[in-house]
Amino acid sequence: MIQESKLYRILRYVFLLAACIFVIIPVVPVVYMAFKTGVEYSSTNVLTPPSNWLNFYNFAYAIRVGKLGRALMNTAVILGISLSLQILFTTMVSYVLHRFEFRGKKIVMTLFTLTMFIPVVTTQTVVFQIIYRMRLVNKMPSVIILYSGVGIVGIYIMFNLLASISKELDESALIDGASYFTIYRRIILPLLKPACTTLLILNGIGMYNDFFIPNLYLRKNVQTFTVALYQFFGSTATPFEIVSAAILLGIIPIGIVYLFLQKYIYYGLAGAVKS
Amino acid sequence: MKLKRLIALSLAAVLTLAGCSFGGDTQKDTAGSAEEAGASTDSDTENQASGETDLSSLKGTTINVYTQGGNLVLGEEKKDADGNTYRDESTAYLAQLAERFTEETGIHVELHVAANEDDVRPLFQVQDDSVDVYTMPNWSIDEWAAYAQSYCTLEEAEGLYGDYALSMPQKDGQIYSIMPARAYNQAVVYNEEVIKAAGYDEIPATLDEFNKMCEAVKAMGVTPISLHRVENWPLATVSDFAGYVAGDANIFTESLKIDNPFSPENPFGKTIKMYTQWKADGFFEPEVYTDFGVAMDSVAYGKAAMMLFGSWVVPQIQGRVPEGKDPSIIKFAPAPDFGAGRYVLSAPASNWSISKFSKNKEASRAFIEFISEDAQFIADMGFIANKKEIEPVIPDLYSIIDSMVEDGECTALIAPASDENTQANQEVLTEAGLYADYKYVGLLFDALDVTKPDDWTAYNKQVEAQNKAYAEGKEKLGIKWVD
Repeated sequence: MIQESKLYRILRYVFLLAACIFVIIPVVPVVYMAFKTGVEYSSTNVLTPPSNWLNFYNFAYAIRVGKLGRALMNTAVILGISLSLQILFTTMVSYVLHRFEFRGKKIVMTLFTLTMFIPVVTTQTVVFQIIYRMRLVNKMPSVIILYSGVGIVGIYIMFNLLASISKELDESALIDGASYFTIYRRIILPLLKPACTTLLILNGIGMYNDFFIPNLYLRKNVQTFTVALYQFFGSTATPFEIVSAAILLGIIPIGIVYLFLQKYIYYGLAGAVKS
Repeated sequence: MKLKRLIALSLAAVLTLAGCSFGGDTQKDTAGSAEEAGASTDSDTENQASGETDLSSLKGTTINVYTQGGNLVLGEEKKDADGNTYRDESTAYLAQLAERFTEETGIHVELHVAANEDDVRPLFQVQDDSVDVYTMPNWSIDEWAAYAQSYCTLEEAEGLYGDYALSMPQKDGQIYSIMPARAYNQAVVYNEEVIKAAGYDEIPATLDEFNKMCEAVKAMGVTPISLHRVENWPLATVSDFAGYVAGDANIFTESLKIDNPFSPENPFGKTIKMYTQWKADGFFEPEVYTDFGVAMDSVAYGKAAMMLFGSWVVPQIQGRVPEGKDPSIIKFAPAPDFGAGRYVLSAPASNWSISKFSKNKEASRAFIEFISEDAQFIADMGFIANKKEIEPVIPDLYSIIDSMVEDGECTALIAPASDENTQANQEVLTEAGLYADYKYVGLLFDALDVTKPDDWTAYNKQVEAQNKAYAEGKEKLGIKWVD
């Protein structure tokens, strides 16, 4: 067993502490600002704590004026449908690409990989025109369709788990008369549950935080949380104490999800790296 | 295998057909829109010429108005007695005007707040008809021409708005955005209590006196000028102040006439050096403001004495004056005499356009005309009604400037029209890598290290570098001043 030197242990803690501070420091002003009055925000340093920790005015204002409740509900509906569809499609695509050999398989994989290198922004002029002509702008399905696509990261996460699922299981089922779809639905899909959870969390957080797509496609009728947050930003001035309160409110749902599902995130990420 | 191939071929055929029909539709739609736009231009011009639009036939119509003036729709942001931020709905002047318009005409108005041009640009790009009226002050002239319905001819606009029509967005003799107001711009917005405490009743008339006042304010521990340098757009004022230095509003564009516009012996270079000298003297805020709201608060609370901006900022700072104090302590006065006289820029303000793709062009025009004839609404916005037949209401914020212009103590310079020289100057600056983000000012301003206020070596080097880049850019593009 390798003995840790005292210096190594000290250095480890110093670096860990520095990393913690690096992550926490930007959050501290947000928490402070959320409890400050507008005058306090303008007249004090961002790292000065609020004079009254029980000032919930900014939270109430953000919910009332920003209609954050409705925005969070819209976000939940979009995420619920998009993630269900995305996970379903990702597992199907991954199953086919992992288990079957067919002509053009490499091309399909290459195309999926290539999408990683195309920034979303660059394609939106064309995509917006398509969605517009489908008469879906300002409607929830526009964003749901765009979010439901299969991504290469999801495929790799699934591949990692599929590699550990013995092919003999598929073959036994095939001998017993099961169709490929039955094998997928009865055997593969249940076994892919941990990877699905990982994908759900990773992509869920990404979608929840996304501003670009919902702002472009859901202009006024259906606001998601990030778009609702944006309405507090003025062309020159912004009441950041209210924005901070809204941000804290937005962190709550994602924090709850994270607390319940964090072990799956670790599993999925570790697995993906190994793969 | 054959079946798979058949399916694949069929899918490819369907996709090809879908692609063709998509392209076909696009062409048809574009042509249709252009025809429609052309047709409505004729009918609009006809209506305008006859001066008759039967509004009763438009009853029940709904128009969608997109504006960047969030304050005018939702109300000014203010602080209550506890210091918390709220929207004062009594100042939602556009919302109130829209209600009055609906009462009088039966045309409904839906107001939408857009943060900036990018919010609505995609809708225009797909020729969407959901935008009827909009206000986008920062569009290029090509964008105006592409997306806005021609409002009237330049000749007609000159008849209604005089020389101010020349500065409205226009191309080939057509006005694309009507600006029914004017404003005195680029002056000193100051906190009267602060300068009084420093021993001054008004903004001094000369630069020397102005600098002395800044020293006196600084000695009180108050920031003389709030600049908000952390963003680039506040540097835009410098180009206008150069007009005051030269006594010529077009001096920035006239850089094209020389090869060394950034040298201090020329008006534009002199103005940048004046700003940088203020920096060296510690007249700007030492801290970094987190956003422009905090910068405005610094003047409202008396932590800074003044800002150098347009009139638009005055009502916003007045709205931020703490509870218990009179908002009118925030005043607006002309900049001092920088050597060529005392000037203030007078420019058309508040632009209103009809979308080329709107299906409610007549109702939209009626709404814009309603705005242009409401002198009180225009004054509430902080501007002066400019239509010839309308008796203007002068907002209080202009009381100092207006009386000084009347008395001949200050000259109003009409903002120059954007012409081929303006465009050419921008092209040269772009070629020189100096145009974006006001780099032509920012690079010089930032070249001086505020901790070494007497060392201007880096600044002078930057002047040389910018002059060289500008001259080379001009030569490379073959651009010359056109008389």
